This record gives sequence, C-alpha cells and structure tokens, in this order.
Amino acid sequence: MERPILKPVGTPAAELDTPALVVDIDRLNANIETVHGFFKSREAKVRPFVGSHLSTAVARRQFGVEGHAGGLTVSTVAQAEVFVAEGFTDVFVANQIVSPGKIARLCALARQATIYVAVDNPGNVDALSEAAASAGVSLRAVVDVDTGLHRCGVEPGRAAVELAAAAARSDGLEFGGIATYEGAILSDDPTVVEGETKKALQRLLDTRQAIEAAGMDVPMVCAGGTHNYTVAGSMGGVTDVAAGSYALMDAKYKDQRPELKCAAKIVSTVTSVPEPGLIVLDAGNKATGADAGLPIADDVDGEVFSLSAEHGRITMNAGAASSPDLGDKVWLTPYSIGDTANVYDIMHVVRDGVLEAVWPVNARGLYW
Amino acid sequence: MNAFRPAIGTPMEDLETPCLVVDLDALEHNYRKMANTYAESATKLRQHVKNIKCPQLAMMQIEAGGTVGGVCAAKVAEAEAMFEGGITDVLIPNQVVTRDKIARLCQLAGRGAVSVVVDDLRNVQTISEVASRHNVEIGILVEVDTQMGRAGVRDVRSGVELARLAYRSPGVRFKGVMSHQTIDGDADPDRETRFTEGRRMIQKCLDVKDAIEAAGISVEVVSTGETWTYDVAAAIPGVTEVEGGTYALYDTMFHYMDDFQFAGKIVGTVISTPRPGVAIGDTGSRALASPRGMLPSVASHENVTVERIFEDHIVLGVGAGPPLEIGDRYLLHSGQQDIMVNRWDRIVGVRDGVVEGVYDVSARGCHN
Repeated sequence: MERPILKPVGTPAAELDTPALVVDIDRLNANIETVHGFFKSREAKVRPFVGSHLSTAVARRQFGVEGHAGGLTVSTVAQAEVFVAEGFTDVFVANQIVSPGKIARLCALARQATIYVAVDNPGNVDALSEAAASAGVSLRAVVDVDTGLHRCGVEPGRAAVELAAAAARSDGLEFGGIATYEGAILSDDPTVVEGETKKALQRLLDTRQAIEAAGMDVPMVCAGGTHNYTVAGSMGGVTDVAAGSYALMDAKYKDQRPELKCAAKIVSTVTSVPEPGLIVLDAGNKATGADAGLPIADDVDGEVFSLSAEHGRITMNAGAASSPDLGDKVWLTPYSIGDTANVYDIMHVVRDGVLEAVWPVNARGLYW
Repeated sequence: MNAFRPAIGTPMEDLETPCLVVDLDALEHNYRKMANTYAESATKLRQHVKNIKCPQLAMMQIEAGGTVGGVCAAKVAEAEAMFEGGITDVLIPNQVVTRDKIARLCQLAGRGAVSVVVDDLRNVQTISEVASRHNVEIGILVEVDTQMGRAGVRDVRSGVELARLAYRSPGVRFKGVMSHQTIDGDADPDRETRFTEGRRMIQKCLDVKDAIEAAGISVEVVSTGETWTYDVAAAIPGVTEVEGGTYALYDTMFHYMDDFQFAGKIVGTVISTPRPGVAIGDTGSRALASPRGMLPSVASHENVTVERIFEDHIVLGVGAGPPLEIGDRYLLHSGQQDIMVNRWDRIVGVRDGVVEGVYDVSARGCHN
C-alpha cells in the first residue's frame, strides 16, 4: 500500500510528499466537458473505459456530464465488481472471460447490473450460456471483431454473424452487439488517424450490416478511443466509443488532442545532482508505471532519458538557463495514464495548485 | 486492493488468474544458497527487499542465515513496512533529502538501526540537523558511482569530503561506503567476466574507502554487490555486506547465471485463440511490468513464446507441438521482477502444486 505523508487540504501541491499522483480537478472537469460535449448531440455516446483511471470517483464525474452511454467499459471481472459495488449498473467487460470461476462471478454481477461481455469463440459462448442459464441471469454477449490489431476477435463478416447468431439463440445470453479495439493510431497527422480509423471501423460497420441482414438487431456497436473519438463518434452506425484516457490524459495522446489538457501529473523530488547536467529523481518505473514510454518533465529544459526501478534521470539540454537543484520538485506528465494509475493507491486532487481532496484509485491492481 | 485470497491447500490449478506465485522450494533453495555462501565469510548478505516488498519473505532469509540481520529498503515507506514486519535494521541505499522524510527515518531510528546513503554535503547537513532535533543517530554511508552514472560521488575527493562532514556532524554516524553496479546481460557474461568486471567496478568503491581511511576516519561498512556479484563481492577483502535482491524470486535478466532458481512465476490463462499459431492470455503489462519493452518468458511450454504485450493482454506464439486451447494455463518468468512485484498486493506461496501460504506485499506502492 502506498503510504505518503498525508497533508491537510489547503496544502500547496508543491509541498506534497513525493512521488505522488496529482490530479488537477479543473482540467479533469474541462476534459470531461469537452469530450462529452462532443457526444451530446450525436448518435454515438462515450462509454468510458475506466481502466484508464481505475477510480470510481473519476467515473462519477464522467457520469455526471451528459454525452455518456449510461454504461462503462472495464477490462477485468474484478474491476467490474468494484464498479457494480459502487452502484454502476451497466458494465461492458471488454475481454473474453473463460474460466468457470470468473464466469460465475459475471453471473453474480448480472443480478445487480446489466453485464456485457466480449466473446470471440463458440465454445466460450456455450460456457457463458450454460452458466447464465443455470444461474437464472442474462448476459449480453458482444462479438469482438478483429479489425486489424490482430489481438482477440473474430474476422469481420461471416464469422461474426455466426457467433452473433449463436449468442442470440443461446439460453441465458442475449446478443449484445459488436465491438472492436482497433489499437492506438499514434500519428500526429489527423488525416492519417482519420483514414486508418475509418478503414478499421468500416469493417465493423459492414459486419453490423451483415448481422442485420441475417435478421438480428445490433444494439451496441462499440469502437474508438481518445485519439480518434471525433472520427469514431461521427461515423453513422457506431453507438459507443470506449475512450478512457481523455479524462486524465497523458503524454501519449496530448499532441493528438490539443483540446484536452493533461490533468494527471506525478510530482517528484530531486534526490541527487551528482554531476553538471544530470538530475536524479525519486520517481522511477515503480512510481510511474512507465512500461509503454517515458514521462515528460514539465518546465525543465531537459528530458527524462532513463527510469530505473527507483530512480528517474534527467539530462539537461546544453545551454539550459537553470537546472533543478537538490530537493526541488519536478513535475512529470505520465506517458500512459492507465499504467500510472495502476501503481498508485490515491490521487491527490488539487485546484489552483492547492490540495482539495484525496481520491482512492480503488480498482488498481485488479487483474483477474 | 482486492478480496481475492486463496485458501491454504488450494490446488494451483484452481487459482484465479493472473496470479503471482512463489515456488517455496525454489525460494528456499535460493535462500540456502545465500546462507551457505556467506556462512563462513567475513562478508554477509543484506537482502534488498525492493525485490520482494514483503517482511515475511525477508524474515525467512534472516532465519536461513548468512545475513547481517538486517535488510536494504529502497524508500522510507518501504523501510517502515519492514519495521512493521519486525525487522529492525534497515539501510536505505538511496538519497533521502526532504526534511519530512528524514523525520520519518528518525522515528524508525528510535526503534532500530537506520542508515542512509548520501552524495551531497547539503544532504548530510540536513540529516544531521533533523536527527539532532529528534535526538537519534542515523548511519551515513557515502554512495560511490562505480559504473551506472546515476547517483553517487564521481571522485574519491568528494567521497572523503562527505565522510569528513558526516564524521564530525551531530545526529549522524559515518559508517562507510556503498555502491551498486550492473553488467550487460545481453552479452551473456560468463563467470570469469562477472568476476573481472565486478572486481573492477567494486574497486572504485574500495578506493574511496581507502582514501577515507587514509584521512584518519575508520570505515566500518562496505555495502556493495548484488545478485550478479554475490560471489564476486564475497571474495573481495574489505566488502562487509552484499545487497542482493533479485536472487530471491529471480528473473530472466540474470539468464546467464544458474546459481539461483526461478521462484517467482505468474500464472495466466488463455482467453482467446483467434488464429492458428496464436493464443491470447490474460496476463498484461500492468500485471507483469514490461519496462523498456522487456517481455516476460514462457516457463511452462517449450513451444510457446511471448510475441507482444498490451496493458491487459499477452500475445503468445505457439510453434510446432501441443496447441494452446482456451482455458489452458501457462506460467511466465518475469523480465524484471522487482518492478513486477510492485504491481501485486499478494504473493501466493505454493509447494508441490498446492497453496501453502499467502504473503501480503505490504511495501507494494511504497514509493515515498
């Protein structure tokens, strides 16, 4: 368990014990307003992927602003359990759930909430059906379609139609719709993001048509993320966009999404200045979760070039006018916010640079 | 956090996945290896607990023998977790620079032996001031940079200067010198290379010791060495303690050594088999850690390799041999296990395929 020295509300953010995850509430609210505002007047709605913040407190704020789909997206059963316990009643587990124990837990959740679950295999459809029917509940099976990422999912078209039909005729299941994760398209060129997104999602929309042609309704068509929410959300036939990073944002998407501001930062302390131009921080991989990329050092004329387990290292640029000294704070923008949230137990919530609240990251570490 | 805690006696195949397990036979082998190495040596082990973050597992090594009776902890919060687990001698081989954290160290120093490393004169002054006010004594070691280019003094003269200041300052007791070093594992170093390189690096630390002694200050502790130099450091006269940590659970970074066994394993389940030759598992990078893109290795299936990792998924390549089916289980070895352990609240201890104990990773998330 994280055990920072907890400071009273009103403490300036720069005086927090480090390393700490700090969330600027004005930025968080503005990001939610921006993205939800986009969806408010559209057919598609955002179904927040809460794996990007792992916090029911942040999810509450997402559900407090119109433009959402009425439900959320998680990646594990254990995460779903936290959100259902906290009163969220519509949850899409966007992953294949195959073990008997986990399927039983899904069925238990289905007594308290509408549960959607991704499927890509007829045997798994049978297993879900059998468990749900014998538990006397209904699960909504969502056919996971591989639109190019080549992770989970069935091929678009006929394979998806067959699986949808299997779900539709199975006891204990309803056919809940189709979904894809097309992957992050990390291009700075908006026309590339738009083109790639449309190409992938057209496969999903064609699949929707094929399923409808086979006589089934497709209640949910779920795709897209923070980087392409405007593209996915503008395509007729897409009903849900499972974006998540937009709330707290991160370095990964910030250049693609200038309308959104990085609301989550890690505040760290300089613990060593062993030679000119080199700064050592008390935040390394363990305190940043930086598997996918290095964080960016804010307001420092240099860059994070290495994270070991416990240390971060910044090299100052040649000719930098000033350099942080021993004990100074350095603010880091996480590269991928879901990874960072997963290594903290609490978010320090600040407004105008002053501590206002402490929120638990109550779905962190729930992998099963 | 989570409520999932398997009962003792649970067969391993019933564990919900992903799950971090420790093979207790292998762990005990590794602990005995260290106990035997240092039993008759003037050098002793000071286990680095950043790799296990669990006082019970640290106590097992202390009971097995070969140690100084204490441990290393990377952070003040980690040291607190060890004290709570009954360990009363902790060295923090890291710089602690803020007054409030030093005050926490002082609280611990009132209950046991606490030492910390320094590389900056100002830090010595601050520790001295805070410790004097708390009326306790903090042990001080000078960190020497021998190879990493991270924290630590870069030259002998700076080391002597720090020792002099610590020696004459109230509230602190100068104890000795410390260093940490790495070797390029990709180059597959053999035993001779480990010895040559290890001796060369550690000599820099001993050079500082010699210079401090020449200045008339006695050096009681030389704390250096780690898993890859556990035998090297023990053979160098003057080294009093070795800071190994990875040896306990082990990881593939040390593939070039066969002195220790892989005790830590992650159990996963296949959730999707979308195409021939590919299986998708439920063990993603959030549960495994993949710093710098480092991938885990498959320990259970010779014909299966890790191809790619996502936050919540792993893509396994299945070569000629038995296929992987949905629901099949596999075991992984970590690429860098201390970062992996930091993603878990529990370690499940198994022996002969049955759960024997469940250990709280009480220092998980102790970044502060």
